[in-house]
Formats: sequence, structure tokens, C-alpha cells
Amino acid sequence: MGLITEKTPLASIQPVKFLLNWGRRWSLWVMNFGLACCAIEFIAASTSKNDFIRFGVIPFAHGPRQADLLVVAGTLTDKMAPALKRVYDQMPDPKYVISFGSCSNCGGPYWDSYSVTKGVDQIVPVDVYVPGCPPRPEALLHGIIKLQEKISGEDIREKFSGRLTQPAATS
Amino acid sequence: MAGSPNPLPPPDIEARLRAQFGDDIMGFEDQYGHAVATVPRERYREIARFLRDEPELAFDYCDFVGGVDFQDRGLEIVAHLFSTTHHHNVRLKTRFPQDDARCPTLSDLFPTTNWHEREAAEMFGIEFEGHPQPVKLLLSEPFEGHPLRKDFPLMSREAKPWPGAVEGEEEEEE
Repeated sequence: MGLITEKTPLASIQPVKFLLNWGRRWSLWVMNFGLACCAIEFIAASTSKNDFIRFGVIPFAHGPRQADLLVVAGTLTDKMAPALKRVYDQMPDPKYVISFGSCSNCGGPYWDSYSVTKGVDQIVPVDVYVPGCPPRPEALLHGIIKLQEKISGEDIREKFSGRLTQPAATS
Repeated sequence: MAGSPNPLPPPDIEARLRAQFGDDIMGFEDQYGHAVATVPRERYREIARFLRDEPELAFDYCDFVGGVDFQDRGLEIVAHLFSTTHHHNVRLKTRFPQDDARCPTLSDLFPTTNWHEREAAEMFGIEFEGHPQPVKLLLSEPFEGHPLRKDFPLMSREAKPWPGAVEGEEEEEE
């Protein structure tokens, strides 16, 4: 995206901004960082009944380098945390993170555990938190819609500069 | 494997152990059809070897090795042995005080115990003497403490008591 730099005003032209955001929000290649039972709900959300592909969320990116969206689904342990950080770092900007389920939001039922990371937002910046234990696939769909709303209102120049943004909303 | 398996009932296992080791079998129980032998730490390895090598017992497979923290009454190691030829089980228990948390390894007799002992070592702070690879298995390397010890502090609970306690129920002793 060489056109979008601090020097070119192109990205601040309203129709261009709309078009770029529209393109990005309907084409989210997703990396499933499945760690526990929430990953099963993620898979259920990708299959025919709930089918998040109709929102342009394309599951099973070949690797983090091909992904736009990281869904952390499940219990992150302190030992696994460096791997999550590494996957996140490998993803190209602009990138988004959905924290899916109570465990990844805050530790969930493992809030007093000696080994569980109490919230993945300690490791990676999270855009949307989806609560539930585990959340139903519909909750993930709602989370994705929330994320798309966030993307469509974004200042691309700021996002592409790699600066971190605040979490959008809780579905 | 020739013929059908012929598991020995726990009293027969006890009789064979008593014949060989006498009073060093500190206790023997039949728990729901499973033989449970309590042995002194000094003869733990020797007894495990006997259980493995005696043709009528032939405990050739170790299911699991776990630890138990009895606080003032010491730490216990429980090894679950199984015979793939005879299809019978025995649990081998040995207990030692917390300030002398050492136990001989079985990992040269039963290769499966290697990881189980590494786990018990990091979780309970037990040193398995003669273990070929005495490093952590599940915990991350910088982790301090032994989380399955009863006196291991859970920092979240230090800040906030467990919210699931039922009213009127006795608080667990610290």
C-alpha cells in the first residue's frame, strides 16, 4: 500500500477511504489461534449453518503471514503466550484481534490458576472481546460485525502506520 | 502372547510380595479390586524391579506416576503398574517427609515414568534421584515454586477470595 503514506493525501479523500475500508472489512482472512473448546465454536461458526464466510471472513489462512484477523479462541497459558506473540508479530499490518471466550478475555474459570494468562490483552492488543464460556457461534458473528463497523470508520493512514488502536466494543 | 490373560487377585499379589520382602511391605490394601502396596522409599526401586521381573507378576507397563501432598504427613509418590500379559494392576506408594523430598527414579525400569516423574518433580518439588533428564516438563523454565503443593500461594486468591464458597460452609484451613 505504497499510496497510503503520511505524505500523500489520497487516503483522506472520503470516497477513497470508504472504498479501501469497504474492501478490507469484507475480506478478512482469519487465523484461528484455537487453544481449547472455544476453537470448536469457532469451527462451528465457519461451517455451513452459521457460515461467517458470508461476511467475507475466510477461515484457515495458510499461516499468520496471510492473515488479517487473529481469533484467540481458548485458554492461553503463560507457556503458550510467547507463541501467540510470535504469531501476532508475523501478521502483516493492518491486523485485528478478536478475543473469543472468557478464558482469553480474562482467564475465565481459571482466574486463580498458576499457569493461565489472565487475558490475552496483556500479550496482544485486542479489538473486540466476545464473552461467553464458550460463546455461541452467533456471538462470534456479532463480534465480527462489530469489528467490521470498526474497520469501516477507520482512518487508514493511522492504521497503516502500525500505531495501535483502542478496543472497539464488546459484542 | 500365548493364551488368555489370567489376572492375579490382589491377595495373591500380596502373598508374593510378602514372601519376598516380608515386613518391608508396610501396608497392603485391596481397593475395589486393585492392589495397593505401601513400601519404604529405600526399597521402592527394588520392589518395582521385582514386580516387573517376576514372571507371575510381570508388571511390564507403568500407567502413571503421581504425587500427593499430605502436608504434615509428608509427600507421597504413587506409581500405577499394569501387566500387559496378565492384565492385573498394582499401585505402589511410597511416602517421605516434605523436608526430605527425594525419591529414586523408575525411569530406567519403566521408560514411561520419565515424563510422569518430571511432572511430579516440578509440581511437588520432589527430586527423583538418577533421573536422566531432571528438567521441567509442563511449566515454563522461569516458573518458581511447586504449584501442586498445598502451601503454594495462588496470587489471585490472595487478592480476592474464591467466590464459589457456599454460605455456612466451613472455610478450608490454610
